Amino acid sequence: MTAEISIRNVSMEFPTPDGVKHVLNDISYDVNQHHFVSIVGPSGVGKTTLLRLLTGLMKPTSGEIQVHGERISGAPKGLAVVLQDYTRSLMPWLTIEKNIALPLRNQKLGKAETRERIESSLEEVGLSGTGGNYPWQMSGGMQQRASIARALAVRPTILVMDEPFASVDAQTRFDLEDLVLKVRADFGITTLMVTHDIDEAVYLSDEIVVLHGRPAGVRDVVVVDIPFPRSQIETRNDQRFTELRTHVYAMVRGLE
Amino acid sequence: MTVSRRLLAVLIGAWLPVLLVYLWWTASAESTNPYFPPLSVIWTRFLELWVFDQVPVHVVPSLQNLAVGYAIAVVAGVGVGAVLGVSRRTARYVEPVVDFLRSIPAVATVPVFIVIFGLDASMRIAAISVAATWPILIATMQGVRATDPTLLDTAAVFRITGAQQLWRVRLPAAQPIIFSGLQLGLQIAFVVTIASEYLGAGFGIGAFTLIATDSFLILDAWTGVILMGLLGYAINIVFDIVERIALRWYIGQKKLA
Repeated sequence: MTAEISIRNVSMEFPTPDGVKHVLNDISYDVNQHHFVSIVGPSGVGKTTLLRLLTGLMKPTSGEIQVHGERISGAPKGLAVVLQDYTRSLMPWLTIEKNIALPLRNQKLGKAETRERIESSLEEVGLSGTGGNYPWQMSGGMQQRASIARALAVRPTILVMDEPFASVDAQTRFDLEDLVLKVRADFGITTLMVTHDIDEAVYLSDEIVVLHGRPAGVRDVVVVDIPFPRSQIETRNDQRFTELRTHVYAMVRGLE
Repeated sequence: MTVSRRLLAVLIGAWLPVLLVYLWWTASAESTNPYFPPLSVIWTRFLELWVFDQVPVHVVPSLQNLAVGYAIAVVAGVGVGAVLGVSRRTARYVEPVVDFLRSIPAVATVPVFIVIFGLDASMRIAAISVAATWPILIATMQGVRATDPTLLDTAAVFRITGAQQLWRVRLPAAQPIIFSGLQLGLQIAFVVTIASEYLGAGFGIGAFTLIATDSFLILDAWTGVILMGLLGYAINIVFDIVERIALRWYIGQKKLA
């Protein structure tokens, strides 16, 4: 396995009126190609900060992040995101189709190719035929599917998701989790997800990175040795699933 | 909206103007005061002059100046406003000047433009465009600054940056705010269109009305005033229609929220 993303000794500090706030301390971790990795930890631990560093939206105070062995500055090529707040991440003045087409402009595709990308990514997420709608005309679950379609259309090698299912109801959440598993099986995109839902992390991931402490460091990396394909009913009743979630939960709460 | 509800809305909006016109009509019917002729007489004269005998002579030049001046204001206001909205550093240098210039009453600048451009249409167009630029510029600057950071983050990760980000994300997101500036700018442009014709113009609605007053053609002056009112109203209606089409996404989104 080769490392798609390398996080090398990354520390992050923010200046605040009360002095410097040290959020992340000396984090090192390699994300293997085609792996699904979740980042969990107590709220406020710095998960989203780490994610902003990975997407190039911020620069670490020290250390570096490499994608395919090259240090990133700015958003790396071939990376796509799905954010929690779909209502503020999809452009409300564009239809779903045009939202998906927007990031494709930089790829200089022909008209036919662009159309094909839009159609195939909408189909992948089960939204065929709805491309003419505006985001706000659709349910939350459908909007988040559209965000995933937009991410897939750029044919990313890396997909980064920040609490992607935190704002939808429980049933929709299960559906979207299974959608993500399908996408991953279909395309083998290396995926990094921040979540506060430990069950979700265990259900979806190959590995779980547990952040803990102030400033936060990598408390542990848990390998989820449950075979794919996984299913909402069987996997969640699996004894190994229960063991792993209990283990991760205890670490997140600082009990282990 | 159903047809009957739309009709009801029109009726609710119309009763007061209709009543006022009726009161004016009846109260002035027997008037012999040369300054306040009967509305019926004014109306007859209005039809003689403005349907459509004098329209090419006086209305067309006014509307031409308005259209050209406003178009320049829209381009300049949105363009400069967008740059100042994105670049804080530029804004720090330029904003005090903008604040000073926009504080000068629009009509007061006309003599300055006469000095620069003389008395032809270019002077009027310059005065209109400068006066209308400020509200558009300020609204665009504020709108572009207020872009939701989540939208900007999303755009940045998809490598939509720089000019593309301004054109594809910040400006469209700012449309609702920009349109309020565009509307204010249009109203100011109309005022300056008329006011600029009060100085040294032979043609135009403002010039017509002023010359009529100076020549004691009170009846003609009254028709000029009514024409300005109706034109201003019509221009606003056209603006509202354009706005409603451009902001369909925003109106639809707010209705559902």
